[in-house]
Amino acid sequence: MARLNPWRWCVLACAGLYFLVPLAASVVFTVDVPGQGVTFDAYTHILSADGFLSSLLLSLELAAATIAAVLLLMVPAMVALRLGAPKLRPVVDVVCSLPLVVPPIALAAGMGTVLKWGPEHLSRTPLFQTFVAIQNPSFPFVLVLAYVVMALPFAYRALDAGLRAIDVPTLVEAARSCGASWPQALVRAVLPNLRGALLNTSFLTLALVLGEFTVAQLLGFQPFAVWIVTVSGSQAQLSVAVSVLSLLVTWALLLALAGFGGRSRTASRG
Amino acid sequence: MTATLPKAGAVPVASMKRRRRAPGWLAVLPLLVFTALAFGLPALAMFNGAFTVKGQTTGATSYSLSNLTTSLHGAYLTALLGSVKLSAVSAAIAAVLGLSLAQAVVTSRFRALREAVLTASGVLANFGGVPLAFAFVATLGNSGVLTRHLGLAKHGWDLYSFWGLITVYLYFLIPLMVLTITPALEGLRSHWREAARNNGATALQYWRHVALPVLAPSLLGGLVLLFGSAFAAYATAAAMVGSSVPLVTLQIADAISGNVLVGQENVALALSLDMVLVAGLVMAMYLPLQRRSARWLA
Amino acid sequence: MTATTRDKAVAEKAATVEFRRLRREFGKTIALDGLDLAVRPGELLALLGPSGCGKTTALRLLAGFEHPDAGEVLVDGQDVTGVPAHRRDAGMVFQSYSLFPHLSAVDNVAFGLRMRKVRTAERRARAAVLLELVGLGDKGERFPHQLSGGQQQRVALARALALRPRVLLLDEPLSALDAKVRLTLREEIRRLQRELGITTLFVTHDQEEALSMADRVAVMRAGRLEQCAPPSELYGRPATAFVAEFVGTMSRIPGHLDGTTVEVLGQRLPADGEVPATPEVDVLVRPEAVHVAAEGQGDARVVATAFLGATTRLTVRMADGVEIKADLSTHEAAALAAGTAVRVSLPRRPVLVAERAH
Repeated sequence: MARLNPWRWCVLACAGLYFLVPLAASVVFTVDVPGQGVTFDAYTHILSADGFLSSLLLSLELAAATIAAVLLLMVPAMVALRLGAPKLRPVVDVVCSLPLVVPPIALAAGMGTVLKWGPEHLSRTPLFQTFVAIQNPSFPFVLVLAYVVMALPFAYRALDAGLRAIDVPTLVEAARSCGASWPQALVRAVLPNLRGALLNTSFLTLALVLGEFTVAQLLGFQPFAVWIVTVSGSQAQLSVAVSVLSLLVTWALLLALAGFGGRSRTASRG
Repeated sequence: MTATLPKAGAVPVASMKRRRRAPGWLAVLPLLVFTALAFGLPALAMFNGAFTVKGQTTGATSYSLSNLTTSLHGAYLTALLGSVKLSAVSAAIAAVLGLSLAQAVVTSRFRALREAVLTASGVLANFGGVPLAFAFVATLGNSGVLTRHLGLAKHGWDLYSFWGLITVYLYFLIPLMVLTITPALEGLRSHWREAARNNGATALQYWRHVALPVLAPSLLGGLVLLFGSAFAAYATAAAMVGSSVPLVTLQIADAISGNVLVGQENVALALSLDMVLVAGLVMAMYLPLQRRSARWLA
Repeated sequence: MTATTRDKAVAEKAATVEFRRLRREFGKTIALDGLDLAVRPGELLALLGPSGCGKTTALRLLAGFEHPDAGEVLVDGQDVTGVPAHRRDAGMVFQSYSLFPHLSAVDNVAFGLRMRKVRTAERRARAAVLLELVGLGDKGERFPHQLSGGQQQRVALARALALRPRVLLLDEPLSALDAKVRLTLREEIRRLQRELGITTLFVTHDQEEALSMADRVAVMRAGRLEQCAPPSELYGRPATAFVAEFVGTMSRIPGHLDGTTVEVLGQRLPADGEVPATPEVDVLVRPEAVHVAAEGQGDARVVATAFLGATTRLTVRMADGVEIKADLSTHEAAALAAGTAVRVSLPRRPVLVAERAH
């Protein structure tokens, strides 16, 4: 073991260099503007930048809706797979792996085509109103649909790992024999033990939605990532500043929540 | 399961059985309906569109292979091959580097380091895209900090080239590899190393004859995942405006938005289908590998 | 097969192993605190002790997976502390799951020969012989996940023997198996070890396992050797109170020491071996050495009985609250149900005394 140490430090140092230098250089880039000297304008102007708040808000709303939809769809299904419907497992397995095969851009292309059916074929039917509603620019629900699909593989794996660690049937039977009703058994006995997996799923989904660009851009909406690209043309420093901040803030957030999740896990074990 | 239920009269048992059966697939149903609508419908539309041509004068539609043929010729083919090449090379490099980094982190005694690296990997692997591209433009782009201060342009450095793009892609591929391979590395039992040593294997022989073969399914699986991820990447390349590397994702976006030629939407769908086929082929290799490694490292 | 076995037994004389003043610390915990122990050629020596007593560390030092902070490990009189693990010539069987999951049983056994660049045909032939030896001749092509726990440990045993090691090391090889498999494998390991005449160290925390298999048992405690003796001596004449209580069941009865005799249960009995300096002592007695008889005026009461087959174990509570375990033939015990008033006595033999607990 001792002999491996120099190698380990070399690897860690190289990785640190590769991953930290772009972040550091980006900060330098935003602060040290050629011709203006050192200035913090890029950061002070973020809040007042046109469209920053609205696009960030839109992304956060989309993230909240996506997380809610993913959990509401996946958790009952995954628990049911362990309790009453193990035969459906291969089906769900395939359904949740398929989005890995279809790149986001292909999904966006397909969705764009479907959305065009509205005006072309359905303009006389009530469905048309639905098509219009889900494309409302202030809250494009169609993006939530796409993001849920994109999050399925991650969510499936995270929840499956969480469920594998606990014996759901025994847990439910134990709760039932203590007098809990079915819903009580699920909410009071199963979900608390899934807390780590639920947190994990939520954060992966959050990161995915906040950073998502492809589908939103191709369908013509402007959440956070698309706004950064749009603004980069005129304000390079500002866009880099926002990029770096968003990376660091997400990381810090996840680290804090991972620490929180880890502690709660050990606490519940003890 | 019914056997463990408290004994009850014949009628309640029957009704209980029915009550328990029903929620089983009812709980799975919303998920299936949702995927059918949000995923199946666009996928169908893509298939349908890829094989549909609109008559230029009549506006009538007919089925043909001409979109697919177009998508496999000229600039489109170059872009498809370019994507495959870029993805394969960057995935291979990221797999090797990611394995080394994961091994260094897993064997480390500092839990805080592990936690920080794994969380950072989660962020970079999933968040990536746009912020990442801008960070690299600011660092190594034409007016980037390092480019200016180190005079990299004089040495022939170009961020918008093939290798430049690989440099950027590694930034989210290496973390993805770390995330994928870490569970497998943690599954390597210390007993295997010791048993190998005990049977006269040197450290090198242990890696050659035990560790790598045991890790092989996970490694290949990781490689496939990285390839798929690099292949599907669009945001990074799109945000680095001015890249000279032909990529299929950029071609699809151009065809949809009619940037180059008008009326190419269905070629975009055909290109998407090409992508799905490539990714599907690669995924088909991944799933059996994953099953095997799960059995070994359980 | 028999030829190979005999070859081996004749070709190499069994080795001796000696630990000298071995010391090993892990941070603040002291795993070995000056261990001295000699293993005779061809014997099966069990290292027995509670978890954390350093028995596994001793074995791993011999295998070369750990390095001593001080002291020496001698094999056939030669210090091997400087020899790297892969050239130690000591075959090891681990607790569980040590088979390489990507190799079949035959390839697992042949692994060491492959490392030595032995030709494929030759090493497979030798591996097949070894698998035959452990009774798995027909399972050679199976992978570890297709074998039961007991079969996996047999393959691991064959693998440990493949390089004809001078010493065989067994690190709790049976503890992960279920009771029945454990019993048969116990006998089989013993048979093989005798047949090959190989010097063997066997780490276990199961006293029954150690007593039934080993030529000699070394009881360890807190990194030191307490006693090393054949099983019967260990049980009948334990050198220390720790050994007495760790091996088999012992009851502690308060007594008063007076010179070399001790007064206990109203009897005066000679004390055996070393005696503590304080007069207030506990007398240590085995349950089979305790006499229990019903007596209406007795101030002791039977509080529990446990049927063990031919014998029944009684738990008797004395007037002062001390509980004593006694084994009686089931026939005798029939009259002594829980709640019966009884009188307890000891046979007129020297007894072991120890400093009073608590």
